[in-house]
Amino acid sequence: MMARWIGFLRDRAHLVKRVFFAFLVFAVAFDFVIERPYPHFFGDELIGFWSLFGLLGCLALIIVCKGISHVWLEREEDHYDR
Amino acid sequence: MTASIFIHPASWFILGAVLMPFARRLGVQKVWLVLIPLIALGLIHFLPESFGNVSYLGFDLQFGRVDKLTFVFLHVFALMALMGSIFALQVKESGQHIAAYLYVAGSFGVTLAGDYLTLFIFWELMAFASTFLIWYRKKQRSIEAGYRYLLVHTFGGLVLLAGIFLLYHSGHDLSFGMFTQEGAGWPEYLVMIGFILNAAVPPIHAWLPDAYPEATVTGAVFMCAFTTKTAVYVLARAFPGFEVLAILGAVMALYGVAYAVIENDARRILAYHVVSQVGYMVCGVGIGTAMAINGTAAHAYAHIVYKALLFMGAGAVLEMTGRSKLSELGGLYKYMPWTMVFTVIGGIAISGFPLTSGFISKSMIVAAAGDNHQIILLVMLTLAGVGTFLSVGIKLPYFIWFGRDSGVQAKEAPWNMQLAMAMAAFICIFLGVFPGALYSMLPYPVEYAPYTAYHLSETFQIFGFTGLGFYLMVKYLKPHDVSNLDLDWFYRKGSLRFLRFAAGPVVAVNEWVSNVYRTIGTRFTMAAARAFSWFDREGIDWTIDGGARSLVDGGDRLRRLQTGRIQHYIGGAVVALLAVVLVVFLI
Repeated sequence: MMARWIGFLRDRAHLVKRVFFAFLVFAVAFDFVIERPYPHFFGDELIGFWSLFGLLGCLALIIVCKGISHVWLEREEDHYDR
Repeated sequence: MTASIFIHPASWFILGAVLMPFARRLGVQKVWLVLIPLIALGLIHFLPESFGNVSYLGFDLQFGRVDKLTFVFLHVFALMALMGSIFALQVKESGQHIAAYLYVAGSFGVTLAGDYLTLFIFWELMAFASTFLIWYRKKQRSIEAGYRYLLVHTFGGLVLLAGIFLLYHSGHDLSFGMFTQEGAGWPEYLVMIGFILNAAVPPIHAWLPDAYPEATVTGAVFMCAFTTKTAVYVLARAFPGFEVLAILGAVMALYGVAYAVIENDARRILAYHVVSQVGYMVCGVGIGTAMAINGTAAHAYAHIVYKALLFMGAGAVLEMTGRSKLSELGGLYKYMPWTMVFTVIGGIAISGFPLTSGFISKSMIVAAAGDNHQIILLVMLTLAGVGTFLSVGIKLPYFIWFGRDSGVQAKEAPWNMQLAMAMAAFICIFLGVFPGALYSMLPYPVEYAPYTAYHLSETFQIFGFTGLGFYLMVKYLKPHDVSNLDLDWFYRKGSLRFLRFAAGPVVAVNEWVSNVYRTIGTRFTMAAARAFSWFDREGIDWTIDGGARSLVDGGDRLRRLQTGRIQHYIGGAVVALLAVVLVVFLI
């Protein structure tokens, strides 16, 4: 049952993608209308700050971590066994 | 006394462990496995505030001390023991269950301990029992990893013991209470190092991602719950408000997440995630306000459940397919749909989706950092949240269940594994929908409301755009068959280098010293020996021989008194008796 349902969604990947982008638009739009509590720092006052934080944070984590891994930390699985 | 033995939940787990082989022989091992945690789960509601006070060798030991901070940990430990046991029902080998139960008993003992000596005993019980959960995997790598795990924990235990000794030396009564940052010196910080080793705080964290992926499928579920969270409890009890913990915790949250992004083995990713999530709790202890301590306890509770759920999911996949590397998995949604659903619930709970337990617990610590004007901590913890969602919320499920079809065909996990996962998934969502159920158990009154429009908006944006980041970079994240160096290098490769160093220069120096000794030292020793020999002959022998001669003479005289005739003895006895009576009468 579950597998069929997921298969159904996978066949309609473009639709899922559209729903996802619609959600992104909604998330930013939602930030315009909500009430803001007493801010902890400047980021709490900027509309859409957390969108930028999420995107840049995610990209930075992937690039920095993968980069360090490739140039320095990466070893084969049995590195210690040899 | 007897009554207070059986009110201690640890006694029940020890009893459960001891009688496990009999339960197996009688064919009731499965019932026994469920019964003991159920007893503990009921029992913790009836614990008196203080029990099991024993005076031993001049120390006041306290086996039971219960307050609200204790209770919330006891509650989740008992619940976790129940879910872990159900997950492990299909394991026939009693040894694994015995190790798990002794481990749980250790954890209960530490949580309830009111003094450092009791704490230390149970602390070591945990370390030794959990080592067997690694060894029972019975692979060469597991056996080696188990030894490393045991050595690191023995070292941590010794540091803790040194701290306890120094505390006692400085006049502390060894009761397990709160320290203040101003008065802390060597003894307190040694105790802290002993504690944070078990909390896997970098740079002494590498034992965790080294050992957990090598543990048995069911053992890892127990291990991810108890060692680190017991450490969080003792830190929250002894070191709230220590700034160093706030900084270490925030660093730890990012460190764990960074490795989770680059690792390949599913269980190693989850292990690094334990480091990251415990970082939030250690940071909360370091912030030390009532809200932060509440957040720490709440997050420990929520974390135990969803991290166990994730380890169960990865364990079920390992059990059914024999694989745990992301690079060898993919497309499993067709074969293990229910395991997928439960694991995804665990993944969104750990990320902190609205209506899951992560949303109502993790945010409390982040908000406590903000309220305490520690903005750098707030940003670091939020960034760790982004990484959490990226690595465990999206990457892990994507590459196991969807992604490239690996061609692996598997059956769905056995019913008991699914039941345990269903229970954990239910708790994740239940706590998210009814946060009051958890908040009412916390040590301080809760003034925090998780479901505000602003918090929801922040969460939507972070998740939405982290998802976008993953979507853009998914090719770059494709897992490869590699693992990454971590600080365990120092004792894994470093020790080999030390051995090589020992075989080369150290041996050469040793031989040189031996040569010097043979040529110079031997002659000197011979001369000294001759001198001592002369002194021995002329000085000591004369004294001792003289003493011995007088002893022989005395013995000879005594011998003449003994005639060997019974009448003489009886007569002598009568005379002696009369003399005694006479003396008594006169006095």
